[in-house]
Amino acid sequence: MSDLSKIPIHTEKHAPEEARTNPLAGVFDELVRFAQSRSMYMLHYCTGCGAIELPPAMTSRFDMERLGIQPMVTPRQADILLVTGYVSVKTLKRIILTYEQMPSPKYVIGICSCTVNGGMYWQSYATAKKLSEYLPVDLYIAGCMPRPEAVIEGMRALMANIQSGETEPWKDYYQRYDYYLGNQQHLFGDNWQTPTDVIGQAQHYGLAGPETEGEHTRILQQYQQPLVAHKLRLK
Amino acid sequence: MEIGKRIADIILMPIVAFVIGLFMVLMLRKIAAKLQRRVGPPFFQPLIDIIKFYSKTTQVSHGLLHDIGIIMAVGGYLAAESLLPVPGMDGLSDKGGIITLTYFLMIPSLGLALGVGQCANPNGSIGISRALTAMLAYDIPFVIVIFGVAWHYGTTDLSEMISLQQAQGWGAFEMPLLALAGLFALQGMMGKQPFEIYVAPAEIATGPMVEMGGKYMGGLFVMQCFQLYTAGVLYTTLFLGGGTHWLDFLIKIFAVVAIPMMIAFTFPRYRTEDMLRLMWKWPVLAGLLGIAFVMY
Ligand code: SF4
Repeated sequence: MSDLSKIPIHTEKHAPEEARTNPLAGVFDELVRFAQSRSMYMLHYCTGCGAIELPPAMTSRFDMERLGIQPMVTPRQADILLVTGYVSVKTLKRIILTYEQMPSPKYVIGICSCTVNGGMYWQSYATAKKLSEYLPVDLYIAGCMPRPEAVIEGMRALMANIQSGETEPWKDYYQRYDYYLGNQQHLFGDNWQTPTDVIGQAQHYGLAGPETEGEHTRILQQYQQPLVAHKLRLK
Repeated sequence: MEIGKRIADIILMPIVAFVIGLFMVLMLRKIAAKLQRRVGPPFFQPLIDIIKFYSKTTQVSHGLLHDIGIIMAVGGYLAAESLLPVPGMDGLSDKGGIITLTYFLMIPSLGLALGVGQCANPNGSIGISRALTAMLAYDIPFVIVIFGVAWHYGTTDLSEMISLQQAQGWGAFEMPLLALAGLFALQGMMGKQPFEIYVAPAEIATGPMVEMGGKYMGGLFVMQCFQLYTAGVLYTTLFLGGGTHWLDFLIKIFAVVAIPMMIAFTFPRYRTEDMLRLMWKWPVLAGLLGIAFVMY
């Protein structure tokens, strides 16, 4: 990574949307984007030391609720996944499971330098280095650890992005699932699978692209076992 | 009452209830923020939250019962609103009466139980079993209160109760013990702290709501608006003489909802069995004594 110009930048072309006939569609989209940017429920996945800066950001000193940001405890209700700190290989599995359960549009924020490039765990064998190789990250907030002001600044940047409708990396996860899955398989082994049917969801919601399926999803299908419910046993 | 007015009432009353409910949610969150010395959410936050949830692109449904459960939860309250008289609108209150209303108020919990059952999430199952136990806890004093009030006025018709109270004085002064027991039951009914063990965000991840995302959660947010409104209006109707015009009616219902909220955010929570013990002891005792005073 010595040469900045060599960092691959992926630009995607949006699929042409079907013509909207309703004259108020633009206004409606605007309203929805405004609501999505002003009401963000965050699921803070407190993996590392960076988590300690979140309580002051939420409570009376900095009070995130005045910006419409609230903590939420289950992935189904959350909009933002906050990954606060170093991500070990074992933790990353849980993060991916959590991420796939969230309803889109969903956003991921990597807090702390450790999520950007491994930080001071660069040489560790057990940590995933770049979070954005495994999940589509909207925004990084760097720092070891970033102060609450920085966290709130990052949140405001995300708000501005959502409202302008510029960034939609959550679609990237559906459109380039093969790439993300490949990186995940590289780390967890070929028999890695999650209960969420990402390809099926992508097809159902019309988000599938040419790179949704590929060699890695074929490996997934090869190893995939059907989900079975656990038998209820009373001992 | 001619039929046109009745239909207009049935359509208008839930809309009014929803708008007032939004303000009550705002008040709830503002009270919490002020008690914790925060600024609190902006003015339109409750509405923005609901729009956000309804605008989710992907929805996760766990099956037909999951969908029906939410419809029952909102529908139960929608039906209940048309039985609650407000100034200028009586709806179906003369047909339904307080007994029907009591039944309608149980539908949301049962609907939620159905829906959560299909999600097959252990946190949800624990949550809903706690919620139904809690319902058992607060419904006993609630039914005692309803019985006492109905006995006192000699009617189950809510609009008649209001006109009786406006003639002879508020129910809270004539039946202070029943009013006290009712306040207790109200606190349980709203599912706020000391009695919010079934939500318990940090332990069972919001219990019954754990698998609800997107439009499902939006539906539950709408339900919460109705829930607060129903609790406020019901208590006002039974004990505070209803409303002669909208201004004093609004002041009364917001005050009624504000009392449990202020208690809520200064308390930790009771365990389920402690809640049962507490609910079946003090409010039931007060309620029974109140009935004795009313009867003799
Ligand atoms: S960046 Fe620093 S504070 Fe954050 S997780 Fe890494 S070591 Fe901890």
